[in-house]
Amino acid sequence: MRIAHWFYTVPLRLRSLFRRETVESELEEELRFHLDHAVAEGLAKGLSPAEARRKALLALGGPELRRDDIRDARRVSWLLDFAADLRFASRSLRRTPVASAVVVVTLAFGIGMTATPFSMLDALILRPYPVPQPGEIVTLVGTTRDEGYAMFSYREYLDLRDRTRSYTGVVAQTGMRPVSFAADATATPRVKSGVLVSGNYFATLGVEPSAGRGFLAEEDAVPGRNPVTVVAHDFWTTELGGDPAAVGRTIRLNGEDFTVVGVAPESFPGMTIFNRPDVYVPLAMARRFSGDAARDFFEHRDARQLRVMARLAPGVGPSEAGGEVAALAAAFRREYPRESRGREAAVKTAFEVRTRGDANEWKFSVVFTVLGIGVLLVASTNVAGLLLSRARSRTREVAVRLALGAGRSRLVRFLLAESLILAGLGGALGVVVAYGGITYLREFDIPAELPVTIPFQLDGRVLAASLLIAGATALLCGLAPALQSTRADLVVGLKAADVEPPGRKRLWGRSALVVAQVALSLMLLASTFLMARSFRESVGSGLGFPMERLLAVRFDPRLVQYDADRTRHFYDQLLQRVEGAPGVLAASLAANPPLSIEGFDALSFVPDGYDLPEGRESFVSASDVVDARFLGTIGVPLVRGRAFAESDAADAPRVAIVNETFAERYWPGDDAVGKRIRLGGADGEPLEIVGIAQTVSFGEPGERRRDFVYLPLAQHPRPRLVLLVRTAGDPLQLVEPLREIVRAIDPNLPMLATRTIEDLYRYHAVEGPAIAVEMCGTMGVVGLLLAVTGLYGLVAYNVSRRTKEIGIRMAIGATPATALRLVMANGLALVGIGTVLGLALGVGVEKVLIASIFDAGGIDFVTYLVVVPALVAATVVAAWLPARRATRVAPTLALRHD
Amino acid sequence: MSKPNDLVLGTLDLLLLKILALQPLHGWAIGLRLRSLSNDVLQVSEGSLYPALHKLEQEGWICSEWKVTENNRRAKFYALTRLGRQQLESEAENWKRLSTAISHVVQLTEA
Repeated sequence: MRIAHWFYTVPLRLRSLFRRETVESELEEELRFHLDHAVAEGLAKGLSPAEARRKALLALGGPELRRDDIRDARRVSWLLDFAADLRFASRSLRRTPVASAVVVVTLAFGIGMTATPFSMLDALILRPYPVPQPGEIVTLVGTTRDEGYAMFSYREYLDLRDRTRSYTGVVAQTGMRPVSFAADATATPRVKSGVLVSGNYFATLGVEPSAGRGFLAEEDAVPGRNPVTVVAHDFWTTELGGDPAAVGRTIRLNGEDFTVVGVAPESFPGMTIFNRPDVYVPLAMARRFSGDAARDFFEHRDARQLRVMARLAPGVGPSEAGGEVAALAAAFRREYPRESRGREAAVKTAFEVRTRGDANEWKFSVVFTVLGIGVLLVASTNVAGLLLSRARSRTREVAVRLALGAGRSRLVRFLLAESLILAGLGGALGVVVAYGGITYLREFDIPAELPVTIPFQLDGRVLAASLLIAGATALLCGLAPALQSTRADLVVGLKAADVEPPGRKRLWGRSALVVAQVALSLMLLASTFLMARSFRESVGSGLGFPMERLLAVRFDPRLVQYDADRTRHFYDQLLQRVEGAPGVLAASLAANPPLSIEGFDALSFVPDGYDLPEGRESFVSASDVVDARFLGTIGVPLVRGRAFAESDAADAPRVAIVNETFAERYWPGDDAVGKRIRLGGADGEPLEIVGIAQTVSFGEPGERRRDFVYLPLAQHPRPRLVLLVRTAGDPLQLVEPLREIVRAIDPNLPMLATRTIEDLYRYHAVEGPAIAVEMCGTMGVVGLLLAVTGLYGLVAYNVSRRTKEIGIRMAIGATPATALRLVMANGLALVGIGTVLGLALGVGVEKVLIASIFDAGGIDFVTYLVVVPALVAATVVAAWLPARRATRVAPTLALRHD
Repeated sequence: MSKPNDLVLGTLDLLLLKILALQPLHGWAIGLRLRSLSNDVLQVSEGSLYPALHKLEQEGWICSEWKVTENNRRAKFYALTRLGRQQLESEAENWKRLSTAISHVVQLTEA
């Protein structure tokens, strides 16, 4: 019924809006018609034409008023009024172009600099999974004492899938790994990225392939039986030519033929934030891609490589599911005491997973969004101050409007129109600023071994957020001045052009603004300095080993289906030939290079004969598998004992080398050489420590000193290794000769990620922190500029307000200095309060930063020693410049000033 | 002319709808019709007439059309719509209930 109603009324209203002239003239005509008839009636009654007309007009009650009433009845008047307000506001803004431009630019910076880190925040935390009903997807994690987000093994996954009731489906996927891809048997293999997933992956997640289908449950049932693959959309366009007939084709992955059964839609780039897999393969094909040769992926309960996610059943919440999975974990502990000892399980929501304590990126994005909002607040307070002084100069105009009968809300709307335009323009420009900022961030190159996609983008959500911010800013800036000026006392307002609205409250407002600005910009600048200093410190401390002229090349012979013997043969050949190559000082093999983005292995062990604390089964240390030449090639000095030797072969007694920190921790004051540690647990395989190496920073420059254990490559063979080469000259010169060497050994074996350790160092030490510092610094400087201009405006305003008073004082004998003091005192007092507040804020922020991210110790006084005087100096100048004008006031002029 | 009292103002919509139900008319004629039908008791002031008509049109209860009168002049004629007829019925119903109740109270004999 209502809809039918609308069918009729909406066109009518639209007509009132858009065909206004027609409607107006029709109204005119209708009333004239009426008037003529009323006059005719009067004439018929015997009145004179003039009297008849007068009577008719009286009866009608004044056409203009009637027309207004009628227009109101049409219920679109507010829209028309608003349009008129906007036009008027834009005219008055155009009259002061510089001030308006400054405001727009200020707001643009504030909005843009909030939207940019917000895009980071959105990508890292807020954006939902790219599947239908993303809120139902949870992640199941294992928890141990040392790890909060552990993975599961294949057997554990099967149990989780079959022995729980809380989910409509449980899926599993491995981490992304390199996959050798060839379009057919004759093509040279190239390296792409792949992920192994369970058969129900696409079905449970609700991903509809854009071509073909997802996996079927039976394709994942028998290990090795179904070589099928679903390819990603980008892979399909670039590698398979976007050919619709690609479904059904076979491609070669890791040397075996796989049939393409489907293409993932463009809307589904994967479930992880930074990694986008090129191909999806069923878990059943794991032996083809397995990461750990020693433990059988399907059988061993402790071969944990799977990330398990699930879709909650309708009506089931995460806590309920969490209880169920915890009970299941207890069952595991009972049924498999060896593998599942000390392992619990939990259910984590997407938010929890993304905000886990051990990741830093999201913390940065939160900090920067908050800082961005800080800048926006400063900008807004500045604009509000400007608008307040504008409102003040229009007191007379406002009083006149009020006297003519404008409602207060109408006036407020009218005054808000100005701030809306400013915020609108600022918002539009801010989007441009944000676009620039995000583009800048995206060009950031992360030197990881597999391509990392930076998912920040100026998408609809960020845009909507920016517009929301702009709107909120408009309200913030405009509402206070608008409300205040309409409270004016009419009589006083009409009499004087420049009138002081009653009450001390107004002074409070402006003063609070200045104080807030000073405090906020102090906090921003202090934070910038703190960050810059702590980054520089962590960088300046060096790594502990020389990082120049060190090349790292990754190899993975599993991509060409080498077995253990062929792998060993390959690496032996490689080392031999590389060592003999010109320009090579030393070469070595290791499982992970120093400063690797992927990090190091985690080794769990028990020092022999050590008294473990209550409830602990073992300790964990970072570790790496290296060959005998490693320490020499990298340049890590040996403090005691010996390095690995040829004698530490596969059949020799097991040995290990530890670093100083490790030795100090477990055998303080004693010599660690000769002591033993047991792998895995108190009854694990024993290793004898044969050497102690100096502690160096392998993970990140300036990292906290941590334990490190080196294991000999001969005793722990790995297929996937990094070749580290110390060169005499530029390491990149060696890349082509190296390629020749590899090609001579096997033309089908690809060289994976190739980079210099110096590049990695620069990424860790310079580029990452540089961005952070640049962003914070920019915000701080902008904040300071805003504070300075705000203070300037306030003092200038004070001067103009008190010109008469100053003139009188000078006329009766005050010196210019006194006048100066009079005007500046207030401003400087505000700066003082603001500084104190800013210090308090800054210290608070510093504490938060230290606690969550940095390793800096204690409050950094140097920062404040630099920032505070700079701020005070700037603000004093800002106050002095307009104050000077006061002293030059000619008393006669001032006395006449109205 | 005496101003119509409050009660009649509130029922202006009802009266206008009923008049238009009888026959489509333009504004001036509506005023005449109302006076004649009620024997001069109900006189709507022109000040209230047109806003009320426009409001009724906005609500979709009456529609308008420019036609030529007998005197060959253009005038805006209003007519009742289907929605308006429904509204008329419901308002008439309300009025009957209200007026019955008022009459009943007023006619009670005083003690």
